[in-house]
Amino acid sequence: MMKYIIIPAIVFIGIVSTGLSLASYRETFEKEFMLSPWSIAQGEVSACIQCHTSDSMEPRIHQHVQEWRGSWHAKNNVSCHDCHGGAPEDASMSMMHQRGFKGAPKDIEIPEFCGTCHIAIQDNYIKSGHGKTFIATGEGPSCVTCHGSHNIQQASMDIINEQLCSQCHTYDRAKEMKQALFLVENKLNTIAKNLKRLKLFGIGTDRQEKAFFRNHAEFRALFHSIDVDAVRAKSSDYTQRLEIIETEINESFKQLTYRRNYSAYLFLIFIGLSIVVFLLSKSYDQKNT
Amino acid sequence: MWGKLKHWIEIRIGLEELVNKHLRQFRTPKGANFWSTLGFVSLIAFIVQAVTGIMLLLYYVPHPEHAFQSVQTITNEIPYGWLFRSIHNIGGNIIVAVIIIHLVHVFLRISYKKPREITWVTGVLMFLLVLLACITGQLLPWHQTGFWQTTVTSTIPAFLPFIGEGISSYMRGGEFVTGITLSRFFSFHVVILPVFIVGLMLLHVLLIRRQGLSTSPAIEPDIDIAQQEKFNRYNHLEGQPCFPHFSLKRLYMVMVYFSVVFFVMTFFPNLFLPLEANIQADPLTTPESIRPAWYFLAPYQVIKIIPNDIMGISLIVIFSVFLIFWPFFDTKDTERNIRKRPLLLSLALIVLALWAILTIWGMYS
Repeated sequence: MMKYIIIPAIVFIGIVSTGLSLASYRETFEKEFMLSPWSIAQGEVSACIQCHTSDSMEPRIHQHVQEWRGSWHAKNNVSCHDCHGGAPEDASMSMMHQRGFKGAPKDIEIPEFCGTCHIAIQDNYIKSGHGKTFIATGEGPSCVTCHGSHNIQQASMDIINEQLCSQCHTYDRAKEMKQALFLVENKLNTIAKNLKRLKLFGIGTDRQEKAFFRNHAEFRALFHSIDVDAVRAKSSDYTQRLEIIETEINESFKQLTYRRNYSAYLFLIFIGLSIVVFLLSKSYDQKNT
Repeated sequence: MWGKLKHWIEIRIGLEELVNKHLRQFRTPKGANFWSTLGFVSLIAFIVQAVTGIMLLLYYVPHPEHAFQSVQTITNEIPYGWLFRSIHNIGGNIIVAVIIIHLVHVFLRISYKKPREITWVTGVLMFLLVLLACITGQLLPWHQTGFWQTTVTSTIPAFLPFIGEGISSYMRGGEFVTGITLSRFFSFHVVILPVFIVGLMLLHVLLIRRQGLSTSPAIEPDIDIAQQEKFNRYNHLEGQPCFPHFSLKRLYMVMVYFSVVFFVMTFFPNLFLPLEANIQADPLTTPESIRPAWYFLAPYQVIKIIPNDIMGISLIVIFSVFLIFWPFFDTKDTERNIRKRPLLLSLALIVLALWAILTIWGMYS
């Protein structure tokens, strides 16, 4: 009689305790997984974008979001609040100063606004002729003059052009700078292209990418000093540093060639084996007939 | 030395009897050609996937913070890790192609008819499970392509009425593709699906061994299957012994399979691994174009072009059910030569043409 009571009781206690422990495990598990930075739940909802693309906003405001979506910032996950501050996850508090909202900067505040992230560039810009003029007079080129505000694209040498530069001064000086930049810029572009190619073939390029990014950023910061002599003087330094990265890239290309040759050998071996087995199979067929 | 070794094995496991009984005495029918070996090629392709998968499993870490990096380590730091990864990746696509060709071949030879209905059902079920294994495998490297392909693929069942949301939610382990999805897909890809596939495979092979290989309707049209009321094993005494004749054909096709794998690896290494497949999954950055793997393009396109989502998904479900249970629908006509069955031939050709058109359309839309 007792076994009819004890056995179901054990089973019941077992099921309940397993259920409870599983439930608490599941809670911890989901919390751990769902709240991690790679969880989609964290950043997907942006009050800024929702509101600025709503019908109640004028088309000019819609345009800002449109331009940002096609920008280099958007491609690198730099969103509205990264520049303008605020709380994108909380619509009611998103534009409160208490939540760090900065809004749109006044013209004179632009270098500081962009310099929040582009620190070295801001330093060199402020010391440059461009920066000094802008800060002293409130006129002259600021960041947005060359790069735009929302539709910011990856900077290239094409930004230095006659149409843009001759708005303030003759193009000769800018042309001289462009020539000084040419060699290093060319190397930077080649490396960027090769890194992308290696990545496409599954070669790990993290270390080279980091070194490239560091040199790229430093060189771009140097350029913002608008000091042709300084750029010329340091160009050979950068060239040497970039050549080290290029050597590593060449090694990776050799590895890629090795992989390709290896699989080509295997391909040829199996083609050869296919032919041998096919002929063998045919000869057995003939014997049979 | 060889003789001694052979003798040593012989007295322990009776190898001679085993080979005689299962290979020499097992005869294949007249007209068994290279196409007839595709089932065996699928089996070898599955074993290749299992072996390379185990090699990858030694270094793979199924966690969103480490999965991508672990795959990068396998590809770039583990000796010949790139080779195993490439074979697993390319092989995963080729196995689907091999099974599709095998399925079409069996259909066109009408080999699914009595007494082989269960063989067909297990085969189609295995095909569907292999597709599921492909879906679950895509997410594991935690790269952009896999992440967004999973996002798209796991949305498809949600269009089903009543149960759709539940299936999608169960697949993802929540509303979005997260670490839970990765953990879930990992267990399905590595344990659950292979166990079911192997189980069905054993049943499939057992049925083939018990019933004998099906005959070619063009060469041996006179076997009256409709009248068969008791189990009858086709011994194909007029055919060829499985070993070495048919085994060589099988071996040849296996060599062709490996040649195709290494051909793709040499000349089109990025065919199944686009640039985004080398970028870590980022839920906040949607790639410019997201489309599922090539074998899901046709159903995906069906859902896209049919304005009513429920109708689109229902069509796919109905098609799958018809495919699985086709032998039970095609019972009236006993004719096994498809050339003498123009309606069935037209149906098969229309389905194949539609599938090809939808796939190409999906690729370029």
